[in-house]
Amino acid sequence: MAQDTVKLEVFRYHPEGNGETLFDTFEVPYREDWVVLDALNHVKDDVDGSLTYRWSCRMGVCGSCGMMVNGVPRLTCSAFLRDFLPGPIRVEPLNGFPVERDLVVVLDGFMEKLTSVTPWMVHEEERTIDEGPYRQTPAQLAQYKQYSMCINCMLCYAACPVYSHEEEFMGPAVLALAQRYNLDSRDQGNEQRYPLVWADDGIWDCTFVGECSEVCPKHVDPSAAIQQAKVQSTTAWMKSFLLPFGKR
Amino acid sequence: MTNPLPRRHSNLWWVSRRPYFVFFLREWSSLFIAIYAVLLVLLTSKVLDGEASYRSYVNDVLESPVLIAFHAVALLFAVLHTVTWFGAVPKGLPLRRGEDLVPPVLMIGANYVIWAAVTAVVAAVFLLD
Repeated sequence: MAQDTVKLEVFRYHPEGNGETLFDTFEVPYREDWVVLDALNHVKDDVDGSLTYRWSCRMGVCGSCGMMVNGVPRLTCSAFLRDFLPGPIRVEPLNGFPVERDLVVVLDGFMEKLTSVTPWMVHEEERTIDEGPYRQTPAQLAQYKQYSMCINCMLCYAACPVYSHEEEFMGPAVLALAQRYNLDSRDQGNEQRYPLVWADDGIWDCTFVGECSEVCPKHVDPSAAIQQAKVQSTTAWMKSFLLPFGKR
Repeated sequence: MTNPLPRRHSNLWWVSRRPYFVFFLREWSSLFIAIYAVLLVLLTSKVLDGEASYRSYVNDVLESPVLIAFHAVALLFAVLHTVTWFGAVPKGLPLRRGEDLVPPVLMIGANYVIWAAVTAVVAAVFLLD
């Protein structure tokens, strides 16, 4: 017989308090088509309105509702209760980030890193409208398209043990986004990004655990982006010895 | 004014999930391979010193139970290291034919074929006298 309810163990932190954290247990209705986010919404609407968490689109696009579900970073809008039966289901804020309240993490550090790698198109010479768009072939698009699918949900950061231990690490999503622009045939901003991306706190902090790619809901594969950047960085470093007169 | 809870992390993260533990083993495999490399360099040195030195090194050192056990463990770690790095090749060096990515299974398979071929050559040189 199918169960009628499922237990949620939800991490709680109240910044007004003395810094204590705890897990509140809620018995929520079990519906086969409910996801963890539905269960959280049920708690907030009907049981405890003070429960705090982020969410928006409910369809795996906005990247707002990332949390640890039974120890694994997941978008709660696509984590079905039926996959965690019989429960309990433990819901925690994303690993590796300071916690603002309950399940809400502080994003400031991530946002600073994100903007630092110039994640936009850089042109040496801007074209006028009359000159038309910056064109590229499907093969050129294929070089970076995968890395452009990131929704900044930060599940990759929560899965990365390096980021958990080294806050200065730029992290998977930021490095994948930098690689996305570095591989774009229309972009000429590589030289601006290399000092940050090829640095110790950039790609060379990555020890290739690979879990960032496993948890990515959009199959961006940031670990591949980082390993490719390592190959490029190493190649450039070797060329600087072998071709000392600027022909790199 | 906010009062965020500092970042949380555990020193036992490497046993918290199976993928982390496999990663942990892969990283430690380097230590065993490094020690094996040192033993191999010593062996080469003994060969250069002459037959007596070589035989003494083999009989007194390499054939000790501790080093036989070490080599068995090092072999397992070497296989783990090799398999995990072959699996990483398509990520680090993706090949494209136009818009299409060369299937990772082909790239990984090519590494196994080369591995088998090199092993066969080495075996032929040392076993077929």
